[in-house]
Amino acid sequence: MRLLNVWRRQRALAQCAPFSEKPSQDRAMRMAAFRARKSKQSAEAFAHQQAFDRAVGELVQAIPVPKEAAEWFVNEKLVAAVKKRAWKKTARNPVIVAIGLAVAVILAISVHNFLEHLKEFPGSTSARKLLTVASATRMSQLEPVRTDAGDLSDLFFMKHHLEHYDVPLEFSRLHTIGYRVFDDEEGHPVAQIEVSEKRMHFFLFPAEKKKAPNDPDLKGWRYIDQEGWVGVVQQHQGVCFMAALRGRKKDLASYLSSD
Amino acid sequence: MTGDEQKAQAVFQDTIREAASHSAEGEPPNDRLWFFREARWRCLAAGEHGMQAEDIEMEETEVAPEGPSQLGQLEAQQLAIWISGAPDPQRSALALFYLDEFSHREMSSLLELSVAELGGLISKGRRQFQTWLDAHIHF
Repeated sequence: MRLLNVWRRQRALAQCAPFSEKPSQDRAMRMAAFRARKSKQSAEAFAHQQAFDRAVGELVQAIPVPKEAAEWFVNEKLVAAVKKRAWKKTARNPVIVAIGLAVAVILAISVHNFLEHLKEFPGSTSARKLLTVASATRMSQLEPVRTDAGDLSDLFFMKHHLEHYDVPLEFSRLHTIGYRVFDDEEGHPVAQIEVSEKRMHFFLFPAEKKKAPNDPDLKGWRYIDQEGWVGVVQQHQGVCFMAALRGRKKDLASYLSSD
Repeated sequence: MTGDEQKAQAVFQDTIREAASHSAEGEPPNDRLWFFREARWRCLAAGEHGMQAEDIEMEETEVAPEGPSQLGQLEAQQLAIWISGAPDPQRSALALFYLDEFSHREMSSLLELSVAELGGLISKGRRQFQTWLDAHIHF
């Protein structure tokens, strides 16, 4: 049925096919004329039709146009200038809308990735994993110890041979309730301390090895967050310290600014 | 379209006057088809006055190889009169088609016809004109 319709339409188009070779014909018309010209059944009739139409066209062109009428078309501009397509109409085009949305999504993802990248620092990957560890740690997994956090450096060095595993001054006065030392996925020793204040967790772990000798060390405090937990990380003598708690950045900021 | 030079002149002038009037009101015709649409209706209206072509069903003959040669012996005025005698919308279809100024879409739009109807009218007109040529131009 559809084929029949296509055939009928092509035949109708061929019946009113232009007889001069104008380049502005549309594709459907070009196809119809091409088929009529190539088809065994219609090629001869179509050739006669075109020759006939050309002859009629020449006669029409020979009809004299009155001088006054011709001058009108040369001198007067009675047709409004073609308006450019309004931008509002263009903006409503579904194709343009789809492209616009796709570009917006790509831009949003790129900006998000860029902002995330700004948060990255040497050791941020390990720190993020340790935030997960902090959220999953039960008190029973820790060895009870009641002292100031800053005093555990000697314990780590003497008992576990962990050099420079020092709690920074900002957090060294907080009272501990437990600690443990374990190896992370890559076999690096990690010291974990829990303090009574805000059930905060401290982590001490080796800083990432530099990819290039000129890569800068992590300087100052850097924040990191994940699933409701927030951490603040500092690097000192090849060891990273992270204080982490369930809460927001401002909960940790108070410890840093008070110093 | 009118088969009469004076009527055609009058239609032309009226159409231009109408366009000028629109322009003066700040609303000039927005495309060239406006002129032809306007002129067509004026031609049809003008054709209703004076002598009318007899409404008869003409015979049809397939376009012949000698058709172009027969046309070569014809005066442009004879062709104009023959077309103006055709019933509308066939008359308008033939006039617009042989002006060779419009795409089939523009003609369909101007005449408010489907492509099938337009093709049918032109094809029928062609065959009828061949019959007329065979009767009047001996080859």
